[in-house]
Amino acid sequence: MSQKSLHLRLGIVASLFALFLVFYAIPTYVFSPSNVGNIILSPKFWPYVLAGFTAIIGLGLLFNAVTSATDTPFEDEETGHPEGSAPWMRLGALGVIMVLVMVGLPLLGMVWTAMLAFAACAFLFRTRHPVAALVCAVIVPLLLYAFFAHVAGVAIPQGEFVRLP
Amino acid sequence: MSLMDSLAAGFALVGNIEAFLMLFIGLTVGVIAGAIPGLSATMAVALTLPFTFAMTPINAILLLLGVYKGGIFGGSIPAILIKTPGTPASSATILDGHPMAERGEAGRALGMALYASCTADAVSNLALILFAGWLASFALNFGPPEFFALILFSLTIIAGVSGESLLRGALSALAGLLLATIGLDLVYGTNRFTLGNPNMMGGLNFIAVLIGLFAIPEIISMAWNPVAHLGKTRALGKSRCTWADYKNSFKSIIRGSMIGVFLGSIPGIGAAPSAFLSYSEARRTSKNKDNFGKGEIEGVAASEAGNNGVAGATLIPLLALGVPGDVITAIIIGAFMVHGLQPGPMMFILNVDIIYGLFIGLIVSSVFLLLVGSVAIRGFRFVADVPKRILMPGVLILCIYGVFAVNNNIFDVGVMFVMGWVGYIMMRNRIPAAPFLIAFILGPLLEDNFRQSMLMSGSDPSILFRGPITWFFWFLTFVTVFAITRSTLRKKVPLS
Repeated sequence: MSQKSLHLRLGIVASLFALFLVFYAIPTYVFSPSNVGNIILSPKFWPYVLAGFTAIIGLGLLFNAVTSATDTPFEDEETGHPEGSAPWMRLGALGVIMVLVMVGLPLLGMVWTAMLAFAACAFLFRTRHPVAALVCAVIVPLLLYAFFAHVAGVAIPQGEFVRLP
Repeated sequence: MSLMDSLAAGFALVGNIEAFLMLFIGLTVGVIAGAIPGLSATMAVALTLPFTFAMTPINAILLLLGVYKGGIFGGSIPAILIKTPGTPASSATILDGHPMAERGEAGRALGMALYASCTADAVSNLALILFAGWLASFALNFGPPEFFALILFSLTIIAGVSGESLLRGALSALAGLLLATIGLDLVYGTNRFTLGNPNMMGGLNFIAVLIGLFAIPEIISMAWNPVAHLGKTRALGKSRCTWADYKNSFKSIIRGSMIGVFLGSIPGIGAAPSAFLSYSEARRTSKNKDNFGKGEIEGVAASEAGNNGVAGATLIPLLALGVPGDVITAIIIGAFMVHGLQPGPMMFILNVDIIYGLFIGLIVSSVFLLLVGSVAIRGFRFVADVPKRILMPGVLILCIYGVFAVNNNIFDVGVMFVMGWVGYIMMRNRIPAAPFLIAFILGPLLEDNFRQSMLMSGSDPSILFRGPITWFFWFLTFVTVFAITRSTLRKKVPLS
């Protein structure tokens, strides 16, 4: 990827985001009391200012992309990207693991969810030490539980099935 | 009471093994707590507080100060080794510390972090002892317009951490400022971007955003390409911080310490902005400025000096005025009160032995930090030798526990995951994360002080230029912006 194409893409996204903020997000999701007479003191003032600056930076990026003479790729662009759909599958799988962690935390408890998440991630990353990964998947969450629950006094979620002392 | 009498009274109070033992234990607990992401120095001090109730006042305060100082240094260990800052103050250390670890120079980076921390800590303690009264009276002159001008100047740090493109850095900072607006309005208490979710009314948890932005993208990158790290040196190596390294970075360490002392003496700023400002100044003036962000040891030194320089100085407003400089000193004020002490000008008259006892303890703490830190580095640095495909799932689990522990809230874990994906997208699009974080920290302070100024003046903007302090910071801001613009134009890469 070149700086020109990157700035073009970022400029378009930033400009559209600024428009989205000004015309939809701020009017809909920022509430201001009706008795606020002065816009400077309104809760909407600061978001509008930031939206304005976002638009300016977006236009700056677009201007930079349009006026940039060269279109050479970044020098330190990472080489050797994995080809095919496998990386996207792994990204999707990691996203699913994160969603399942969110679902599992109140249901299974933090320790069991963490064990499963650790093992799933280790195998997703194609570890060369599967036995060590499984041992760590059991031990690390238990040690962290012992520390946070019994030393730091944090109420670690226990879940609805197996409760730990 | 003369100075010698006061010193003698202080020595009489702390001249026993128990007081120094408490300080040592505090530093050890602090370093360990700081090294665990999510278990911040604040949390460690808060957790230690109940253990001090039965102690004598001086032992209790020394224990808490040890935890505080140890925690600030301890945060640099995971920041360097696993790109996960143990405390927010260590965020700037990641920028050069982690690239050094990736190059197999973790030992060198950790060593420099320790030496810079100890030096800055000593400078900060000396400043506390010498300038407590004077700096406290200066800080007392700060009102909302002065804070606004100071924070606006602090935002120029963004130029220093934007890396290859100022525009992309500015875009990142704006995203951080926008994210900081989520929550209840500071003046009217109305909802802003909360989407009706009560969890968002207090704003997004800082630790969740911080860890999400820096640690989770590394894990996501691992999923994208699990073999990308192969062939790269990750082991600790035999590299150590040498005297030459220390000497070369000494100027940045002293400058960072001074910045830390100055910002630490002003209530409400904290260690993270100080670390970034120190880093930015070191980069601006260094002859190796092109190496900053790629593993420059001077960057590690500057960041660590900046955040540790705050530690002693935050006690200046606490002891001299009874005003807490940050959350940790607010907890420490609680400890003073529990033991029947009221920090403030009268304490220098009524409890001068405790004041001087604390000063002596603080000086000793810099030496103890060197000892405890050296051992901690040896203990924690083996993390660098763990296979990365086992380490990363471990980091994920540690992040989940750590972020949950801050507020006992599962929602924060979700925020961390979302910010992780945001951070990954930013990383893929070469948008630096550091400006985002700085803006996220400073955004609420900037807005809060701006609106308070407007309320004070009836919306008259001239209040923002009301006196010498504001003029000074406006002048600094304009000079910095001018220097940035000139340096950008000289590079013949217009604003990019």
